[in-house]
Amino acid sequence: MSPSLLNSLLMLPALVLLAIVFAWPLLDSAWLSSQASSVLTGLSPIANDGANWQRLLGDARFWQDAAVTLRFAAVSVGLELLLGLAMALVLHRPGRGRGWLRALALLPWALPTTVLALGWRWIYNDPYGPLNAILRAFGAPPYGFLTTPATTWLFTVLADVWKTTPFVALLLLAGLQSIPAELEENLVLEGARPGQILRRLTLPLLKPWISLAVLFRLAQALGVFDLVQVLTRGGPAGSTESLALYAYLNAMRFLDFGYSATVVIATFLLLVLLTAIGWLLLVRRPLEASR
Amino acid sequence: MIEAMPVITTNPAAGLRIEGLSRHIGGRSLLSDLNLQVAPGECLALLGPSGCGKTTTLRLLAGLDAASAGRILLDGDDISRLSAGDRRVAMVFQSYALYPHLSVADNLALGLRIRGMGAREREERIAAVLELLQLSELRLRRPAQLSGGQRQRVALARALLRQPRLVLLDEPMSNLDAQLREELRPELRRLLCGGEQPVVYVTHDQQEAMGMADRIAVLRDGHLQQVGSARELYERPANRFVAAFLGRPAINLLPPEAGRQLGLRPEHLQPVASGGIPARLQRREWWGNQQLLWLESARGDLRLLVAADLELPEDLQLGWRPDHELWFDSHSGERLAGP
Repeated sequence: MSPSLLNSLLMLPALVLLAIVFAWPLLDSAWLSSQASSVLTGLSPIANDGANWQRLLGDARFWQDAAVTLRFAAVSVGLELLLGLAMALVLHRPGRGRGWLRALALLPWALPTTVLALGWRWIYNDPYGPLNAILRAFGAPPYGFLTTPATTWLFTVLADVWKTTPFVALLLLAGLQSIPAELEENLVLEGARPGQILRRLTLPLLKPWISLAVLFRLAQALGVFDLVQVLTRGGPAGSTESLALYAYLNAMRFLDFGYSATVVIATFLLLVLLTAIGWLLLVRRPLEASR
Repeated sequence: MIEAMPVITTNPAAGLRIEGLSRHIGGRSLLSDLNLQVAPGECLALLGPSGCGKTTTLRLLAGLDAASAGRILLDGDDISRLSAGDRRVAMVFQSYALYPHLSVADNLALGLRIRGMGAREREERIAAVLELLQLSELRLRRPAQLSGGQRQRVALARALLRQPRLVLLDEPMSNLDAQLREELRPELRRLLCGGEQPVVYVTHDQQEAMGMADRIAVLRDGHLQQVGSARELYERPANRFVAAFLGRPAINLLPPEAGRQLGLRPEHLQPVASGGIPARLQRREWWGNQQLLWLESARGDLRLLVAADLELPEDLQLGWRPDHELWFDSHSGERLAGP
């Protein structure tokens, strides 16, 4: 047997698995998005000549949710990157109890999202939660963290940042540890201050890891569902409704499976587009430049 | 034979002076009470097995680690309290520590940029040092696109560029193959030594130390054993450790008798007609220019280094000249004045 044939054969189980869990549901959804399939059709699919897609283009709720999702992803990934970098730099320093500190820092990430979302719902509770207790202690009136349409999205971002910053920190910590210590030592001998080391050495060498963290987190954040479902159910006034949540609502509440599939496919295309842009900007171009 | 001698200067304070330098961590002593002097332009090799404290010494001199005690004087100035960045010390690391994301020219420029040097002066200096090390062609390459020898030259260029007051080298050739090492030795000497700055060169390779350095300091378990020229160390080792560490094949140490132990270098043993130690040939290593014979005798196993074409019988007698005898105290290991 030729080596290339053997290689292909060995790849086959993984490809079959991917086809079953990824390609097939996707193709099925794509097909379903071209069908009317709701309570009105008795939940059986009937071809409707792209009516779902036409509806999507004029669906203000879809476009608002797209904007909400993008804002959520951009702000939370940005914050996670900054905080994760700071955390990684601290955890990278040698010192007593560093192992414990690392384990402790990872804890939020290890928690199930639903559990932490319930926790944050209590923290944000108006008027009984701990945050409002602090406000009260300072004599301030209670604040509706989860009931003020203009700011609630920010508090969902904070809950997400709290959970996923450790993941970013862990990735960047791995990156930091791949940088040989002598590089920094030589720069120290050349008279560099910590800020200069960070800018001239650490960040450039960390770039592949940062790109990786951004791409991973962007893909996750654009598909956010469980956090908003438990924390706000998309409210108040739809101000935190993500695309994934909208797809879920279409299927499970409005029982419109055809349109839900359309939202899913649209979200998927958006995600592919953004990830591809991110990949082009962050990964491919620097790779070519380094050649 | 011309023996390399340290440069003699009129100013006794000039150069590097190490006084009582020590480093302990967690009750473990990495370096104890090291005292050394290196003249301007002199190359001193720190030689010893791994864990002997040679790299520790280098890192203390650079300011990368903190000393537990002692002073480091450079041209009379105490630099021990200065931060690493203020010492004007350059170091060549074993791994070369080139910045992988920067070209050769940018690797050189970064340090100067950090020190705030203007673009024109920077360019001039870099061009000059690239010229000196024949690296001009490679100025736009990245470290990954260079051979091991080229990387080492870039690291050297980067160290010299800064016009340091002290140059430190940490096993700078151990990542190169043996032939290249041999070729580079004279070049490295030409570039580094005989200038204004003292050079401290860490190596575990005695041949490299002997070839590169004006003087060699042998360290063991954080203690200085002996410092002197290669010839002094070889011919008059301070103790058994130095005698055994220097010289390949290693010195023959005969079994101790009455608190004393006799050491004989393999090249100092010779076959004699009568009156020597009876010995029997066990094994022969033929090296081309010489041969190493492994012999069994009443006074233990002996190694004998002789001319490649010398034919010897299976059974022979071995003798030596009395002035080649090296006697050691069998307990302390110190060398004794005579038999």
